Amino acid sequence: MGSRQITEKSLSILRSLPRISVGNIRDNPGSKVTQKRGRGQHGGDKHGAGNKGSGQRQNYMRLGYETGNNPFYLRMPQEPYYRGHHHRREYPPLSLLQLQSLIDTDRIDVSLPVDLASIIKSGLYNFYPEQKQFGINLTDEGADIFAAKINIEVQWASEQVIAAVERNGGVITTAYYDPHSLFLLKNPKHFFKTGAAIPRRMIPPPDVIEYYTSAETRGYLADPEKISQERLKLSQKYGYELPQVENDSFYEMLCERKDPRQIFYGLEPGWVVNLKDKCILKPTDKELLRFYSS
Amino acid sequence: MTSVLINAFKRLNLSIRPQVKVISSSYSTAVTTANSLNVTQKEWKYPPLYTKPREVWIENLDTVEEKKLGLFELHPSVYAAMPRIDIIHRNFVWQTKYRWVSWAHTKTRAEVRGGGRKPWPQKGLGRARHGSIRSPLWRGGGVAHGPRSGKTHFFMLPFHLRIHGLTSMLSAKLAQDDLHVVNNLELPTDESNYLADLIENRNWGPSVLIIDDTDIAPRNITVATDSLPHVNIMPVYGLNVYSMLKHDTLVLTLAAAERIEERILHHLNAITTEQQREFKLSQV
Amino acid sequence: MERLGTTILKSLWKPSINIVRTRYHADKTRLVRRYGYEEKLWCGGLLPRVPGKQLPIPEYRPANAWTERKALYGQNDYIDILGPGNLHPVKTLYTVPSWIRGVSGHEYHILLRKKKMFAKTGSPVVRPTKWKELQKRLGFLYRKLNRKTKTGPSPD
Repeated sequence: MGSRQITEKSLSILRSLPRISVGNIRDNPGSKVTQKRGRGQHGGDKHGAGNKGSGQRQNYMRLGYETGNNPFYLRMPQEPYYRGHHHRREYPPLSLLQLQSLIDTDRIDVSLPVDLASIIKSGLYNFYPEQKQFGINLTDEGADIFAAKINIEVQWASEQVIAAVERNGGVITTAYYDPHSLFLLKNPKHFFKTGAAIPRRMIPPPDVIEYYTSAETRGYLADPEKISQERLKLSQKYGYELPQVENDSFYEMLCERKDPRQIFYGLEPGWVVNLKDKCILKPTDKELLRFYSS
Repeated sequence: MTSVLINAFKRLNLSIRPQVKVISSSYSTAVTTANSLNVTQKEWKYPPLYTKPREVWIENLDTVEEKKLGLFELHPSVYAAMPRIDIIHRNFVWQTKYRWVSWAHTKTRAEVRGGGRKPWPQKGLGRARHGSIRSPLWRGGGVAHGPRSGKTHFFMLPFHLRIHGLTSMLSAKLAQDDLHVVNNLELPTDESNYLADLIENRNWGPSVLIIDDTDIAPRNITVATDSLPHVNIMPVYGLNVYSMLKHDTLVLTLAAAERIEERILHHLNAITTEQQREFKLSQV
Repeated sequence: MERLGTTILKSLWKPSINIVRTRYHADKTRLVRRYGYEEKLWCGGLLPRVPGKQLPIPEYRPANAWTERKALYGQNDYIDILGPGNLHPVKTLYTVPSWIRGVSGHEYHILLRKKKMFAKTGSPVVRPTKWKELQKRLGFLYRKLNRKTKTGPSPD
């Protein structure tokens, strides 16, 4: 919208010009082009429809039809690479570069643990649980320049990404959320308005339970002892010195994890968030407590 | 002529007085000087970057002669934005078009009453062939390609273009000395002559748009403006580009100026996709 | 003999030809069209009027640009920006009927929307002719748009 000097200059020019009113404003010249119908000797002959046939009569053949030949799209045998792709889980990617720019532009608060909800709240990442999208796949683009120390929880991460985060003294966890909890994470306010109790997070389906229990992928169900071993192993593999999390000033923040049944940081399953009175209602019934703690 | 001279003399006097130079960082609280000028530093929610805030006098409405009650800072992103005439024009066109429904209507040959029977045989009479007396060729027949009622000219100007229209217009008004900030809208009388004199005396207008923060303006000013059709009062949410173009001078109360600034800055700094999604128009 | 004489004369006598311009560009006048035609009609301006009997001149009635409607035109058009944020300017178009509010499109689309909204009301029973004409127009436009015109925006 113009540099500062241009703005100042135009405002100072305006001081000596007549008052801006309905009579003396106009759009930029050439901003509106009206289509004209050709006239004259040959201008109005065919109006772009060509001479005879499909163009004039609008009887176009259907797409792919080759006037009786075996059409191209039917000529090869089928090769079903993507059979059942619409049933598979999808993880829309977010690169480390994007994450870094989100942090640099203050769209994410790094002094708190980062999860799916806080990345969605930045407004620059979106996903659709109803289209079988299950959260963030953190990709390694920009891994070399990633410099933030964060405690991040994503749904899928590769080895390089884990190394890039841990090299800076950060912590990364991969966690599974069932579609219902993903809806809550995507739009918490919408859910809180319904007044329902926060449900429990479901356990992962059998085909990914291995991913989320293994320490190499920093699964949320993995043994913490094994994870610290794997951290050391990975640092040796990639050749960086692993910063000591214990001596860090953000130690408490870096150690914060969600319970495997928990969806939101700081909110436990079974609680009801009352937006109108701005309070949280907690269950007291023993049976409810037992149900939600399981 | 004499009043103009007197005014000029008064202004001269005022400039001879010890000037109050405001350096916003050095003043932290309200400062009262010998001239009883009230200068406050603002707590910016979004501090102005690269550009200094614009300073305006706070004026009064309780006397015909202008009194300067203090200095007030306006945010440059709102009151000193790039004055884009083309965006102002597009806003103007949008405001006139989006509520415009054309009700012109003609009947087609199918809708005009009668005309079902063939007026005379096709052949043998030596007359032109016709199938209906309501054909567009006939007098009293239907109209071909006529206007059909309920033709809308509706479109929605993009959200940020409308914000930019507002900031452009406010900046242009301020740059052309057509924007004035007053402390409140309290008048000593409810006579319209007083208000007309005031506008004349201060070289405002003739048409003046007064913006207040509240929905209900003080009684005196509403009664005074009742008989002046070119002096109008609006709440902050009624402010728009068309009215600013139509009225020569814009008068904001202190609260209104702050409110406008707060709303526009909020939208300039917020992620508006979610907020706008709610208002996405669905058709058919 | 005679022929021989002329050929000898031709070969011996060669007169020098000097081209003389008799008409110069500066001397040219504009082409006079319809030269010699006498205009039968009077084209010298207004005819003299008979005093006392003037033609009617419409009374000059300037429009008042500051009626309440015109003075406050456009109010609340920016209510979504300057207001509390829960209202959209389209929702404030109270003067526009609901079936057309915030809608733009071809006559066919507008009529489809109108039909959809009016079908639930008593309109088909209360105004049967209007309803029938709406249906007829929809049928006509359907045939026109699908069978007689190209896809895409059309000038009509």
